[in-house]
This record gives sequence, structure tokens and C-alpha cells, in this order.
Amino acid sequence: MLAKLCKKAFPRSLWAYHCNAGACNGCDIEILNVLTPYYDIERFGMKLVASPRHADVMLISGAVTRPTFPLVKKAYEAIPEPKLVFGIGSCAAGGGCWFDCYNVTGGADKAVPVNYIIPGCPPRPEAIIYGVALALGLVEKKASPVELKQVEFPVDMYLKNKAYEERDVIYQVLNR
Amino acid sequence: MLTIEEVKTRLKNKYQSAVKKFEQPYGTRLYADIDKSKVREISNEIIGMGGRYLVSVGYDNIARDKTLGLIHAFSLDRDDIFVCLRTAAPVDNPTFDSITPDIPNAGWSEREYMDLLGMKFSGHPKPKRLILADDWPEGVYPLRKEVPWNLMPPPAENVAYQLDEAPEGCTTIPVGPFHPTLHEPAHFAVYVDGETIKGCDYRGFMVHRGLEKLCQTQLTYNEIPFVAERICGICGSVHATSYSQAVEMAAGFRISRRAEFIRTIMLEIERVHSHLLWLGVAGHLIGFDTIFMQAWRVREAIMWFGEKLTGNRKTYGMIVVGGVRRDISPELKDELLGILKTIEKELVTIHKAIVGDSSIHRRTKGVGRITTDETRLWSLVGPVARARGVDIDTRRDHPYAAYDEMRFDVPVVDSCDVWGTVVVRILETFEAIKIIRQALDTMPAGPTMTEFAEDIKPYQHAITAVEAPRGEVVHYLISGEENRPERWRVRAPTYPNLQGVPAMLLGDQFADLPIIIGSIDPCFSCTDRVVKVDIRSGRISNLTGGELETISRAKKLAGR
Repeated sequence: MLAKLCKKAFPRSLWAYHCNAGACNGCDIEILNVLTPYYDIERFGMKLVASPRHADVMLISGAVTRPTFPLVKKAYEAIPEPKLVFGIGSCAAGGGCWFDCYNVTGGADKAVPVNYIIPGCPPRPEAIIYGVALALGLVEKKASPVELKQVEFPVDMYLKNKAYEERDVIYQVLNR
Repeated sequence: MLTIEEVKTRLKNKYQSAVKKFEQPYGTRLYADIDKSKVREISNEIIGMGGRYLVSVGYDNIARDKTLGLIHAFSLDRDDIFVCLRTAAPVDNPTFDSITPDIPNAGWSEREYMDLLGMKFSGHPKPKRLILADDWPEGVYPLRKEVPWNLMPPPAENVAYQLDEAPEGCTTIPVGPFHPTLHEPAHFAVYVDGETIKGCDYRGFMVHRGLEKLCQTQLTYNEIPFVAERICGICGSVHATSYSQAVEMAAGFRISRRAEFIRTIMLEIERVHSHLLWLGVAGHLIGFDTIFMQAWRVREAIMWFGEKLTGNRKTYGMIVVGGVRRDISPELKDELLGILKTIEKELVTIHKAIVGDSSIHRRTKGVGRITTDETRLWSLVGPVARARGVDIDTRRDHPYAAYDEMRFDVPVVDSCDVWGTVVVRILETFEAIKIIRQALDTMPAGPTMTEFAEDIKPYQHAITAVEAPRGEVVHYLISGEENRPERWRVRAPTYPNLQGVPAMLLGDQFADLPIIIGSIDPCFSCTDRVVKVDIRSGRISNLTGGELETISRAKKLAGR
């Protein structure tokens, strides 16, 4: 659904604005890496731009820290509609290993609405290209969603085991 | 050459009862407990012996004896000695003498503890907030034990940066926090007169994630190497190695020789990829995108090898306390040698292209000038210092891992400008390739992991330094109870180097700002790392050009 919309909304070249909201540099280097000759994202017409006002897409890396929080919001507002937001890396996905530290707000979705998340620490350049291509409907989705159900802990099983254990204790006492 | 005994005798003779106790748990580390009124004098004495200021460590000791502890660490590079001056002040009046008037590089460390631990420093030239934001409530010091790691005071909206006044007749140009030439958030207020930079104020610490606090309260010794790698996505192994060595030193324990060799290889692999990365970024900053593309293309081979060896392109997770996680098999060794051959060949081509390009010469020569004396005064480290004629390299001066067996040169040039850093980094890449080859050839057989025989005793101090691609990383560790460090302080190379940037910018053209800042290979995530605290609006700053000039002149007059 969103992929179809994206195809309509972004029929031509996609310009991306990269916003580092307190990342460790790992994801940022991989984002720059997709520009280099091996990965060469410009063959899809995508490129990085310096100003959010030129961009269609915002790539956020890093667990949004307190000082960058209002700035990320401002950068998001500066991007003209229609726009897409990608969270790149585990930190942007949910705050990473410091999700609840005193200086971290915990993930890009706390600051701005995030449309797609590319996980990894850091994600490979291929993963970034695949994620963006998937969003634009350039490739087919390879994985189907898996539904996880909450399973209740089998209480009877626990009681049964306990009964067996207790029975063993009784036998031990009797045999003594 | 001084020996550790001579250092002790000199301090003891000169300061007598002010030096209370010496501790020397490890051959080259000297810990001296000193009286707090003599901090400044003894620090100057160590500098006079040829010492170089590294870092200050503040820690919370309230639970044990109601004091706040402060440690100033120095390195005597010629003599392979680390000297740590430990002192303490009662928590109800935690006032120390500031050493910043003599050692300007201590400015940030001291301001950090004003924010984080509530210490006070008398005589500090700029006692402003550095790390904590303006909207952070007064009296809440995040590094004290009583404050939980996840305390989040409500933020205030629209707090402006508290920057210095612009000098007379100057215009302020804001650069950042999000700026195309800075790949990480940081704010520079640049004061220009026409096109000429007259001063600079810095508000950074926006990547502060509170990681030191997290590790001291939530994680255990074995988990921290993985968090340490995430201090910086480029030089992760450096932090993991440094931390692991500190824990091993605190435990008084040696890992197997093979693990030390593999650590050496990982560190040098990282240096190769980081220097190629910097070369590309520097080319990009001066508008020479061909170098950016070519350097990163060459670099890609070593990234793929890293993935084959460790399972990830970066953030390897290779180095753990007690050794390394994976072994280098003979097949991988052959492959690495092949990759190094290709990289060396292509790097020679890139080197020739850079040396022969007149536009690069014109953009970098004479730009970002800072004299050798000023470099020493500011305690700059790494390629930035080596490009200014300061011959320091932790790998040679304080050998760790397997570097004592390696033979390599330390390239030093004295052009004192950005061009020098380009040359030093390219030559260092060749040296790194040389070291990897030696290490692969002479690597002994043995296990990769060594088990700890017993628990780590609490309250052991350990300081280690590792030469990262950007300079020297210093980790200070105080072991603690509950299987986690009591205090762990990280000093990344950008921390001292960034303090020297205003001096480099002074008098240059505004258009050269990106490459001058880029020439220190800034890594704000390392700098802001851990300890930091809040944020949002910032206040901070470096010394302005004027203050810097005053200090430098005072120094020169004082004959240092």
C-alpha cells in the first residue's frame, strides 16, 4: 500500500538528506559508502543533498539525544511534502543499547514519524539500498511478516513437575 | 631518561609531606596520593620533567569517605611512564586549584567535572558549563552515585546557546549543528572579519549518550567491550582493546601472546581503513571528489575482509576481556596478505596523484597553522601533532599488545599545516600495512582466550593508552564491586585536538574552515562519549582566540 503510494509520490529521482542525531559514525559511514563506486546508489537516481529543503527523504541515524531532539524536528519540518523518513541502524530503530540513558530520548520515532526502519549495527550498504528500493517498489519484498503469539506459561506442567519432585523427596525419606 | 624511582625521589624531596603515598602496582605506572593544595605545583613539576598532560578523572567516593576524588594523569613519553596524581576534597566543599592556567588542555576535563560531579575549580579561566545543558537543573550531578542512570529532567523549549560575545567589529557565522561538512552534530560559532577568522566558539557534546554512567551502574566487565566498541563506529576496536587492557591490568593478569598479536592486527586493519576513509573525506571537503571515490573504493576490500574475519564490516566485537573472540586461520592470513598487496599498490597511485596535484597543495599548505610549541602547550595528539613536528606515538613510547616486537617508523613532518596531516596519514597507512605483515609472519601459536583465575579486586587503578588512527586513546579504570567498574573514564583523541582547533583557525580564511576542522579527523561521538550529560541547549565553549592568545603569550613570556 505504502509502496504503491511511494511509487506515485516519488516517480523520479530521490534526494536524501542525512541527519546524524547522535550516532557513533558507524551508520553514517555506511550511508556515505552507498555513494562510492561499489554500491553507487546514483544509478537509481538517488543522491545525498546538503539541505533538508532539497530533499524527499530523511535518513536518521543514531538514538536521538536530548540536544539534537528539537533540531531533528526542525529539519523534518523543513523537508517539503511528500516526504519519507528512514531510521537507519539499531539506535534509530529503538535507541540501541543506551535507549534509557539520561541523555537519550530513545529512537527516531520519538522525535518524528518514521516510515521505514533498516536494522543493523551498522546496516550493510546493501541493506540500506535494499531498504530504500523496497520502499519505492523497485524490488519485491523477500520476507513475509511473521506473526508471533503470546504463549501462556503452562501452569499445569509446572505443578506436575513439582508434584513429581515432591514425590521423589518422599521416596527418599521413606527409603532412608 | 628518568626512571620511576627518580620521579619518586624528586617529588618526595621537593614536596615532602605533600606527597602522602606512592603506589606502583605495575612497572610503568606511578600513582601518587598528593595534598590538594599542591596540585598545581606538582602538575607543573611533572610537565617540567617532560610530561604531557593526558586527562583528568573525577570520581564519586562519597559512600566510602565522603570525598570527591580527582586524578590528573600525565605521560612521560621518553621514559615510558604514566604518572597519576590522585587527590580528594570533602563533598561539602569540593574546591580544587585549577591547573588550566598552566595546562590549557585541562580546561574541558575540569569543566566536565564542574557539570557532572559538582566540583569547583578556583582560578579556572572559563568556568562555564561544558556538557550539561542550560535547562538541566542546578545541583543534579549525573555522575554521582545517588543519581540514577536513567534520570531525565523534563526539557525546556527554545533555550539558546550561550556563546561568547563576538570580538569587536566581527560578524558571527553559525556552523552546524547539522551542516554538510560536519558529519556529526556540533555547533561552531565562527567570528569573522571579512573573510578572515578572528575567533571561534564551540558548542558540542551533542552525541553524549551517558555511556560511562550506564557501564558503571548497569553492565558487567564482560559486556562493556561491546558497548566500548560503539563509542565510535570507526575506531571501535581501539576502545575495546584499551578497556580490556585496563581490566587485565587491574586484575594483574596477562593474556596469551597470540591474542596480543591478533589485537595488533585488528588495530592496524582499523588504521588502514580509517586513514583511507579520512583521505576520502578530506578530498570531499576540498571539493576533490575523485579522491573520495577512489580512496573508498580501495578501502572496500579491507571492509569485506573484516566481515569475513569477524562477522561484521565494522563494530567487530572481536576484542573481549581476556583475549579475542576468533582466530585467524591460514586461509584468512593468505587472503589478508593478498588484499594488502592490492591496497598498497593502489595507495601508491593515490599518493602520487595527491602529491602531484597543485590544487591540493594550494588548498592545504599554510592552512591551519599552529607552531610546534603551541602544539605541545595544547597537548595535541596523533597525526595532528606529528604533522607539527611533535614526535609522539603511543605504539612506540608505551608499547602494548605486540608492538614491542614490531619494527616500524613514526612519520613526523614539521610543515605545521593541514598538508602535513595528509602526508603523515598516507605514510602511516604504509607503516600499518608493514606492521600487519610482520605480525602475520611472526604470530606464535597458542590459545586466543585466557580464563581469569580469580575475581578482580575492587578499587584497583589502571590506566592504558592505545594509539587510535586519530591519536591517542586513554582509558582510566577503577575496578569496583559487583563485577563492574567503579569508574571508567574514556578520553578520545578528538577531545584534546578539538580544543586546539580555535588556535588553528585563527587568521585563516573562512572557506578553509571545513578542511581545518576535518584535518583533525574529528570524531564527536568519541569525544562526547560517555560521560556526558545532558544537553539540549547548550552552553559551552572553547577558549576564544583572544583568550588563547593571552595564554599563549603568557606562556611564551614565562619561557615554556
